[in-house]
Amino acid sequence: MSRARLLLQRLAFVGALLLLWEAATGGFGLPPLLEPIIVARPSRAFAEIGAYAATGLLWKDLAATLQAASIGLALGIVGGVAFGLLLGYARPIADTIEPVLIAFNSLPRIALAPVLVIAFGLGITSKIFLAFFTVFFVIFFNTYLGIRSVDPELVKAVRVMGGTRRDLARYVILPSVSSWIFAALRTSVSFALSGAVVGEFVGSTAGLGYRMVISAGLLDTDRTYAILLLLMAIAVTLVELAKRVEDRLLRWRPTAAFMS
Amino acid sequence: MGITIEDVSIRFRRGVEVVTHVDLEVPSGEFVTIVGPSGCGKSTLLNAVAGLLDRSDCIVDGRISVDGRAPGTKSSRIGYVFQRDTLLPWRTIADNVQLGLQIQRAPQPDRTRARELLALVGLEGFEHYYPHQVSGGMRQRAQLIRTLAYEPDVILMDEPFGALDAQNRMLLQAELLRIWERRRVTVLFVTHDLAEAIVLGQRVVVMSRRPGRVKTIREVVLAGPRDPFELRASPEFTRLEAAVWAELRDEFRAGAA
Repeated sequence: MSRARLLLQRLAFVGALLLLWEAATGGFGLPPLLEPIIVARPSRAFAEIGAYAATGLLWKDLAATLQAASIGLALGIVGGVAFGLLLGYARPIADTIEPVLIAFNSLPRIALAPVLVIAFGLGITSKIFLAFFTVFFVIFFNTYLGIRSVDPELVKAVRVMGGTRRDLARYVILPSVSSWIFAALRTSVSFALSGAVVGEFVGSTAGLGYRMVISAGLLDTDRTYAILLLLMAIAVTLVELAKRVEDRLLRWRPTAAFMS
Repeated sequence: MGITIEDVSIRFRRGVEVVTHVDLEVPSGEFVTIVGPSGCGKSTLLNAVAGLLDRSDCIVDGRISVDGRAPGTKSSRIGYVFQRDTLLPWRTIADNVQLGLQIQRAPQPDRTRARELLALVGLEGFEHYYPHQVSGGMRQRAQLIRTLAYEPDVILMDEPFGALDAQNRMLLQAELLRIWERRRVTVLFVTHDLAEAIVLGQRVVVMSRRPGRVKTIREVVLAGPRDPFELRASPEFTRLEAAVWAELRDEFRAGAA
């Protein structure tokens, strides 16, 4: 199938889905199958995005959410890589604290939200921390496992050429580990966004998640759906961006290894 | 830069004795092949010479020296060609070939040598490909010239053509011989392929089944530069093949029993 045709088919599918949704919620003068107070009509949800923007609140909320997500993401990546490298090299320490790390990793991270709000208040800090924790463990475990799964034959090859420990790190370990880290980038981006939004659900004064909870509480279904659509658009864009970065950085990999 | 192996026995700490009382002297510039049944410890012996054995895993008795120095010493210039290709998957072919030069901190002009080597084995045009994008034969060629590029005095080869198809194997044998005729580095080449051992080696070392020891050493006396294709059709080759096979057969039989 040609790319253009595939794109057309995909657009047609999304279009049909929206039309169906519109019809089911009382659009086109049809009797509503689903109450618009419970499921918003898409045309009105889209229109609500405009109204939301016109109040000026959209930009404020968008900025708050993206700021929390991106700072949390950056810190999570840096922290996860640093800690992963550290433990990857300090095997005895790693073996000792591994059960605790696994316990933390098994904990649904968003369950930390109430605790973080108690500790850091309603401001952005608690959201940054939640985004950080969700990202940190993914990146940490990938880095750590990456170090453990370095191909020993490649290590031998470099050693026999006279490579020092530094050469090994530079030519084998870091490139090998970074492939594991890049592969976790996409997941991390969507995790960071979830962390920020859930943090806002639990307690905040601004942000898309905050506005959504308020709207839902007021039974303002249109605005709730408008924010949901916005979040979807943001997530798709960011994840696609991360995928491009990942494909670019890992272009040396056989394409079969990718799950797109 | 020769290799000396004196009364070497290698035993794994879990109890298996891999090689026992091996004596072998490879003078500078000689090409020696080691052939033996699988599991006879020929690869372990090679790893010992390269200084790649994990000492927490096994015990090495006897003395091994490369150019008078113990293996694994920083200054020994050893090249090792692995059976599995060990090109770095994140480096292009050209960058892989330069790896040894980079590790040995070669000055920039030396790196033109890497380019010449690529041409030598027909890899020009593939410089910017990643290893997964080229064939197994090309990867093995790249691995070979990666080793040649930093001009080691001793090259150890562990069944380097074992994973290739018959045609590619013969072509690479011919290329290896051509290169060796020119540079005369010391080569210790391990294989389980009898014909390969005879075609390449000036001397063929036949090892017994585990625990491996040197069973016989045969000279392959041939005048002039060798051509592996012609050689296979020569009476000398047939005679040697029959003789070495007679020695090996017993080892295989006993191993299977």
